[in-house]
Amino acid sequence: MINHLIINEFLKIIFRKRTYIGFLLIIVLIPFIVWAIDDGGTALEKAIYGQLSDSFFFVGSLLNGFLASYLILAVLINHMPFLSTIVAADIFSSEYSKSTFRFYLTRPVSRGAVLLSKIVIVICYTTILLGFFFGYSLLVSILWLGTGELAVFDKGILFLAEDEIFYRFTIAFLASNFVMTTISCLCLFISTVSRNSVTPIIITISIVFIGTAISLIPIDFFDSINPYLFTGYINSFLVAFNEPIPWDHIRNLMTICILWSALFLSLSFYFFINGDIID
Amino acid sequence: MKMDDFIHFDNVSKYFGDNAALEKVCFKIKKNSIVGLLGPNGSGKSTLMRILSGLIISWDGDIYLEGDSIRGSNTMLKRSGFLIEDPSFYEYLTAQQNLTMFSRLTNTDPVEIKKVLKKVDLLNEKDKKVSEYSYGMKQRLGIAQAILHDPDILFFDEPNNGLDPNGISTMNQTMDNLNKEGKTIFISTHILEHVKELCTHVIVLRDGKLVLDESMEDLIKNEDRYIIKLNNTQIAIDKLKLHSAIKVVDSNDKKIIVKSTLSIHDIISIIPLESEINSISRDPNISRLFR
Repeated sequence: MINHLIINEFLKIIFRKRTYIGFLLIIVLIPFIVWAIDDGGTALEKAIYGQLSDSFFFVGSLLNGFLASYLILAVLINHMPFLSTIVAADIFSSEYSKSTFRFYLTRPVSRGAVLLSKIVIVICYTTILLGFFFGYSLLVSILWLGTGELAVFDKGILFLAEDEIFYRFTIAFLASNFVMTTISCLCLFISTVSRNSVTPIIITISIVFIGTAISLIPIDFFDSINPYLFTGYINSFLVAFNEPIPWDHIRNLMTICILWSALFLSLSFYFFINGDIID
Repeated sequence: MKMDDFIHFDNVSKYFGDNAALEKVCFKIKKNSIVGLLGPNGSGKSTLMRILSGLIISWDGDIYLEGDSIRGSNTMLKRSGFLIEDPSFYEYLTAQQNLTMFSRLTNTDPVEIKKVLKKVDLLNEKDKKVSEYSYGMKQRLGIAQAILHDPDILFFDEPNNGLDPNGISTMNQTMDNLNKEGKTIFISTHILEHVKELCTHVIVLRDGKLVLDESMEDLIKNEDRYIIKLNNTQIAIDKLKLHSAIKVVDSNDKKIIVKSTLSIHDIISIIPLESEINSISRDPNISRLFR
């Protein structure tokens, strides 16, 4: 039965226009940014070399598809929660507001199974959208600017060999996906108690914004709680480009995200399974 | 419990905070009957429907289907089809896609989709998005989704809402046909005329309480009331009160309402001429229960 429910949820999102908003924005925005990076390449290289260029003579260019992808991801990742929550925000609230649960839940299926199918879809959507963001950024950047070594900042300038860059991007994607999925789970939970799809997005983004602000404010109390907040790990995918990769940090990220996701999903189960549907 | 008690409502109550939407409601439904659930807005009809359909989870009392409690079991949902209030479909999907989705939830053979669409005369419109449907078409599609898995009990909440006279007639015909196929039908409505046309049994709720539970036959037979409009009521009342087969129920200076087993002609013969009768009509109407 769960397979049938997942197919139904898949059909529900695939035929809705708002499902494609995130993909469309990424499709349009990334070539534009890659073009801008290409156009301003010289200035960018100067910024990276800094005072080193006064003492050393550099041959070739740092600017390539990998660096462009790295910069795009670093700049846009903080905005991904807006896109990744589009489906999660709507997945329950639209059923309440449009009263479609009157038909859907009057069938001999358990609410737990319905919830599970929606969770599967939200996680899949978040993963696919983020995967598309990473993959498309790399594809467009490489096609436009070619490949080469990746120069990143890690205790100075670090050059990563071309043959390990895809591996690093994969680790970055997985780390980032844990955080985005947690954010989507938070949004899904709010959707189970909300009767419109705007409220879950606003509340989720507010929480992410406040959490991110906390991680940036240098106060001891905030520093002490930040490792336990999933919002403190939004930019943690960048550690995938450190040498060596700090696996302890990634393990912490995974643990914290799994715990928060479990809390949000447990609350979703509680409210959805025990709630009367009177809309 | 008698075997012909198909569904038994036993002290069903539902409170929203301190407000009782339903209070100790008890009645029984016989198999293959058409039961009209009547009551003004806010009387608890929709709450009762939502309890039956599992949309409302927390409620008191119990409901038995052929002797077995429906609590913690989805037997009622397996055997029932629901059309609760407005037909709310996934409007961005076609009728066919909507029904395909519902068929997966009950493991219904997709072949049935065409059959039910034909039954509600929507087969030619199956590939249209539901957003392009008129309200009447959506109501018919609502019937189609309710009967898709061939349930033996159907619950329709305000099925004639928003339909024109033609649509109401078609809807009533459809329900009548479904009943002839052996389905037990439970209709919630606030339109009395629909109940008179269709139902074999009437339940009336008011302020969450049961105020009437009778067969339509008994209701009409036992509740013969006459409305007599006349110019001089007092003379007529004095005469009518002398007759043991007549009970004056209500009156004002232009009208008398009496309850009687006598025929209209017999009643007219009792009323003195100087009362100047303008009209007399039977009132088997149960609308007074709404007041």
